[in-house]
Amino acid sequence: MSAMLATATNPLRVGLRQERVIAPQCLVIFGASGDLTHRKLVPALFELFRQRRLPSEFAVLGCARRPWSDEVFREKMSEALARRIEEDPQAWAQFVGKLFYEPVDLQQPDDVVRLGERLERIDEQCATHGNRTFYLSVSPKFYAGGCRALADAGLLKDPKRSRVVIEKPFGRDYGSAQALNRVVQTCGQENQIFRIDHYLGKETVQNIMVLRFANTIFEPIWNRNYISSVQITAAETVGVEERAGYYETSGALRDMVQNHLTQMLAITAMEPPGRFDPEAIRNEKAKVLQATRLADELEPWNCCIRGQYGPGGSNDSPLSGYRQEPGVDPNSTTETYVAMKLFIDNWRWQGVPFYVRTGKRLAKRLSEVVLTFREAPVHLFDAAAGGPTANQLILRIQPDEGAEFRFEVKSPGSGMRSRPIDMEFSYDDSFGEPSDEGYVRLLADAMLSDPTLFTRSDEVEAAWRLYTPLLELIEDSPWQLPVHPYESRTWGPAAADALLARDGLLWRRP
Amino acid sequence: MSPQLTLQTPLELAPADVPTYLEQLWSPEQQGSTGTGANTFCLLVWQPAWAEQQLIRTGRLNGPITGQQSDQLVAACRQAVVDADLPSGTPPLSEALIRTAAGWDGDNPSEDLRGQYIDPALSALQPRRLITLAPTIDPEHKLETLVAAYCPLPEEGGGTTACGDVVVLRGGRNALKDGLAILQPLLPERMPAWVWWNGSLDEAPDLLEQLAGTPRRLIIDSAVGTPRQCLDLLRTRVQSGQAVNDLNWLRLSNWQETLAMVFDPPQRREALGHITQMEIDVESHHPAQGLLLAAWIADRLGWELISSESDDDVINARFQRGDGETVRFQLMSVPMGQPSVHPGQMVGLRLICQPDDGRGVCVILCAESGGCMRLESGGMADLELHEEIVPVQSRTPEMDVARLLGGGHDTTNPLLASAAPLAARLLP
Repeated sequence: MSAMLATATNPLRVGLRQERVIAPQCLVIFGASGDLTHRKLVPALFELFRQRRLPSEFAVLGCARRPWSDEVFREKMSEALARRIEEDPQAWAQFVGKLFYEPVDLQQPDDVVRLGERLERIDEQCATHGNRTFYLSVSPKFYAGGCRALADAGLLKDPKRSRVVIEKPFGRDYGSAQALNRVVQTCGQENQIFRIDHYLGKETVQNIMVLRFANTIFEPIWNRNYISSVQITAAETVGVEERAGYYETSGALRDMVQNHLTQMLAITAMEPPGRFDPEAIRNEKAKVLQATRLADELEPWNCCIRGQYGPGGSNDSPLSGYRQEPGVDPNSTTETYVAMKLFIDNWRWQGVPFYVRTGKRLAKRLSEVVLTFREAPVHLFDAAAGGPTANQLILRIQPDEGAEFRFEVKSPGSGMRSRPIDMEFSYDDSFGEPSDEGYVRLLADAMLSDPTLFTRSDEVEAAWRLYTPLLELIEDSPWQLPVHPYESRTWGPAAADALLARDGLLWRRP
Repeated sequence: MSPQLTLQTPLELAPADVPTYLEQLWSPEQQGSTGTGANTFCLLVWQPAWAEQQLIRTGRLNGPITGQQSDQLVAACRQAVVDADLPSGTPPLSEALIRTAAGWDGDNPSEDLRGQYIDPALSALQPRRLITLAPTIDPEHKLETLVAAYCPLPEEGGGTTACGDVVVLRGGRNALKDGLAILQPLLPERMPAWVWWNGSLDEAPDLLEQLAGTPRRLIIDSAVGTPRQCLDLLRTRVQSGQAVNDLNWLRLSNWQETLAMVFDPPQRREALGHITQMEIDVESHHPAQGLLLAAWIADRLGWELISSESDDDVINARFQRGDGETVRFQLMSVPMGQPSVHPGQMVGLRLICQPDDGRGVCVILCAESGGCMRLESGGMADLELHEEIVPVQSRTPEMDVARLLGGGHDTTNPLLASAAPLAARLLP
């Protein structure tokens, strides 16, 4: 028994979640025959079910154009989740009865009317109280039409009992995001719209807010007086894999920077909200994004580097370059790497550079925020490394979630030499429990009508507006922002290092 | 937020006319005037409010009778405990006070708004039907049946109005029993029905049996009633497969969370396999909550109950761990100056872990409402000490019930389902 206890999950933690309560409802997934449904959404719902966080009056209605029946949909999901089901077949046997399917083409008004009728029958059958969450897991070109169809059928008329979740990307640029927002906002109220950014579902991203605003020690030094620069990194080791078709039209800037990295920047740099309230938090995020700009808007090539991975790896396991990937144009100029320098023009951050980078096929998979503090004004001691190392607070988003604080201590011995050490906090060591997958948290929040971790229209627009000079440059004169090749599984092009070297800095090599 | 009243004055009808009246109220022809009938759930509440009725009758509390656990009611009850010269540890809403107050003179009339006075936490859930059984002090009181349509008004405005209705059956206990016949048609099978027994589990067991059969979901408070009756009822209902929710169990959540938090760091988990001693202190003379906590710990750690015996306010038991070693358990009632509204609330917990090799560990959890000096004494100098303060929950029963209704589970929480039978066995 004791050996089991030492290695297994905390037995006193099992089944103990004190979560907010999800009200009875029906979750309607459009695009239910697609990948996301069986890879992320249904597994996340099953996890919520296993954790007893779904009410018994609950149903999932899958919708897509394929003429499936409830039984076929259930079979497909059972096949796709076979490995998870093995862990808890009893729970699946109960859960699968909550899955339903209705063939629906959102562009066909008759289909949407039929959908409304089916939802009423599900309300009767499952007592779901007319409370519905619509999840648009469809191609972005159907977002506007899908919302319109739901609104025209009267399915969004009750703002308290209907909501729409929209996957990324929300628009392709500032203009298209504005246009989409206009359409969506004619279909329902802003508090019914949940624009998903799965990075915000990560425990450690949310922890940035807790770290900053639940402690008194950080906020007084969280500003230009004490912080000299901030680095935000989201590095992947994988290449484009089977997403070439989508990636060729988006690139790293649209795929990662405009949404995930910008959200991390907003949470790191925002002012404290007056209260823990979705609107108060989103107001502060929108404000800080509206104050953010490229370090050189007139000549963006001075503050932005694009890169594209080339071949790499070893003789034994060679890695192909981006242009050699299936589905990629051999002359593609799509960037798989972006590094840039931003400033935030407000009282807190004026003059502090924010360096942001993301890329595929980099040396290590990691996401982190690094705050580098100013040096001590006078160096009293010799430093083992020649000069004192600046204090750094490193917030590790993934993997090995946690935080570390780097500061100088006396090096053992008779002299008075200083050297840096790291003070560590690790989620694993402190909690020993894997945190939920982002979709588990975000789906639950959407069904709870809690928009805190979803992006509001003005946030999305501010993020797109921030990168407009770059997008226009890439569109109009791409030669001014060339894609620098870099070897697969390295830290990106040398030009990105040069971007920081000009400021006398280095990218952190974690 | 203040409680919401029904918009219309309830209509008094003959009991036999109630089902037909409500059917007509929600008929499609009438829906324009009454809004849409909420397709949510029905809640049937046994609402005796004995203490409130007695204190209002004797002029110690102003009316009307609402059935809500207000601050004024609790304060008046505490004063009544002092005036009645009851022991200072007597919980304010206890049977002892109700019995004493029943002997006091007084005949102050008061309006009885039980069932019409709806807590906002409940109204926010838009119940389709709230049925209140309101027994009166006067056992000869004839049955009165009141009906009203009810449309909760969202405080922020907006939204489609989804209306419900309230039905109140008021009268002496026998009169109420006569009125039960109308309940069945008022609880449609297509909607989940919950029964909240908001009174002592000792009173009217036959009525409870009649009201709370499966598939109705039962809400009780195992702190109200004799411990034996509370734990046995919990056990039998859980074992019958009914969905049972216990407000006393719900109030344990901070204790469970705090204890789990102590053992979250993986390096501390080893100690869980070496617990040799578990002690629990509870308020007053009601061990149900303490036993539920002990049962939860024992169940989670795979202990088998070997024996249990009691001596006055102390229960001593022995468990066997998975490795065959013995765990000694003691539960003790300790006097409190200002007892909680809920009898037998947790005061402290001590776990002592003695690994075969390495230093022992002592974990102490103390309620923030009082000290746990008894548990802090007793020669633990050689143990590694982890001590935590457990915050006291300040939610009203209505808020806890709303939380349960909002969650809408049709099965018993598996942790409670495992702990309840063991807790019943722990009580000698």
